[in-house]
Amino acid sequence: MISFKKVDKWFGDLHVLNDINIEVAQGEVVVVCGPSGSGKSTLIRCINRLEPIQKGEIVVDNMAVHDKKINMTKVRADIGFVFQSFNLYPHMTALENTTIAPRKVKNMSKKEAEKLGRKMLTRVGLEDRIDHYPTQLSGGQQQRVAIARGLCMNPKIMLFDEPTSALDPEMINEVLDVMRDLAKEGMTMMVVTHEMGFAREVASRVVFMDEGKIIEVAPPNDFFTNPQTERGKYFLASILTH
Amino acid sequence: MLEAFNFRVILEYMPLYGQCFLATLWMSGLALLGAILVGIVACGMRLGQVRSLSVLAGIFIESIRSTPLLVQLYFFYFGLPTLGIMFPEWVTGVIALTLNSGAYYAEIIRSGIQSIDSGQTEAGIASGMNYFQRMRYIILPQALGMTIRPMLGQAIVLVKDSSLLSLISILELTRAGQLLTSDRFMPAEGFLTTAVFYLILYYMLKWFSSWSEKRLIFREAH
Repeated sequence: MISFKKVDKWFGDLHVLNDINIEVAQGEVVVVCGPSGSGKSTLIRCINRLEPIQKGEIVVDNMAVHDKKINMTKVRADIGFVFQSFNLYPHMTALENTTIAPRKVKNMSKKEAEKLGRKMLTRVGLEDRIDHYPTQLSGGQQQRVAIARGLCMNPKIMLFDEPTSALDPEMINEVLDVMRDLAKEGMTMMVVTHEMGFAREVASRVVFMDEGKIIEVAPPNDFFTNPQTERGKYFLASILTH
Repeated sequence: MLEAFNFRVILEYMPLYGQCFLATLWMSGLALLGAILVGIVACGMRLGQVRSLSVLAGIFIESIRSTPLLVQLYFFYFGLPTLGIMFPEWVTGVIALTLNSGAYYAEIIRSGIQSIDSGQTEAGIASGMNYFQRMRYIILPQALGMTIRPMLGQAIVLVKDSSLLSLISILELTRAGQLLTSDRFMPAEGFLTTAVFYLILYYMLKWFSSWSEKRLIFREAH
């Protein structure tokens, strides 16, 4: 479903992604973790070319994302992306946030899109917040609208860039619950997160990154109980004892 | 002093003032609509991906903002006919006002667009929207809402600048004052009346902007 081959990326002199190779199969949930500045957000932002890469190949659902000539609209329409800072459209209600892309990108009728929007907002538990504006919603509710917004495009892949990092602790679970359900339903997901409980529970594999490189890839139980590298051990020790 | 002030002559000239008030109103209104349109297009070109269009828009904005409106007006009024381009006077006047304020609107809108968080653009990109869709549905509604006050400021400047049209013998409010002055030699009566009508236009604009502000901007804040 997602394939990185020898991917390199630089921000100026900074080598943010260094020889990245990874394959994600359909239905897999891959959690990406690592210290800040390790390139984990950049990694998933490259998948829908929010960031371009300089070397290597990224293929998503048989489409070559690294190819400058490819029309990204189709690729992006099939990939849901959830941001750390939600990025809801503040001038639109929750429902309008979820219907704008289906209507304008997929040319769905307003009626059809609203039906879909209501269904997805209900799915994330916000059926009573449909006509609220983002500023009238809590952080956790906003992030769930953002997830519903992604789901309305009927995506093949959902990408999450630290979806709970901007949330108050008591709201983290309502977002993680929605993500757990998605994972159980077989959605292909890549999740950048520090929520190790979530990783343990739903991840097929954990990718550990440091300084732009993938250091370890392992099933969560192996990684958490028996990391193979010193840096992995050090990272786990530092986040588990904080 | 007040005994010297001739109210009767003002009443006598009221039909002229009424006609001129309407002329200023519709010419400024037309120029305002045109200017906002020019501003959106110029700003879109300036911020767009196509380099040649961006440079073109930059030259337009800079050259308008760096030269006096009177010079631009004289260029359109006296200069263009010598190049074989002829318009009625009022068209020349409205075009000059439109292009002049359009350049300022381009800058106002640009500041509005650039104040929108880049996450909004990224969310649009991630959902597959193209540049025009992002502008139309995500960026501009927010940017225009945030720039209502500076836009009102420029609209007031536009209405006041329309007084320069009197210099190319277009019948409008300032011209009415000039006519009263030259007919009866009563400049105090003539230009004070003119000023009062500009004040009325100012309050109309102010009312319109707070009305549209309530409707346009972040509805959730109200």
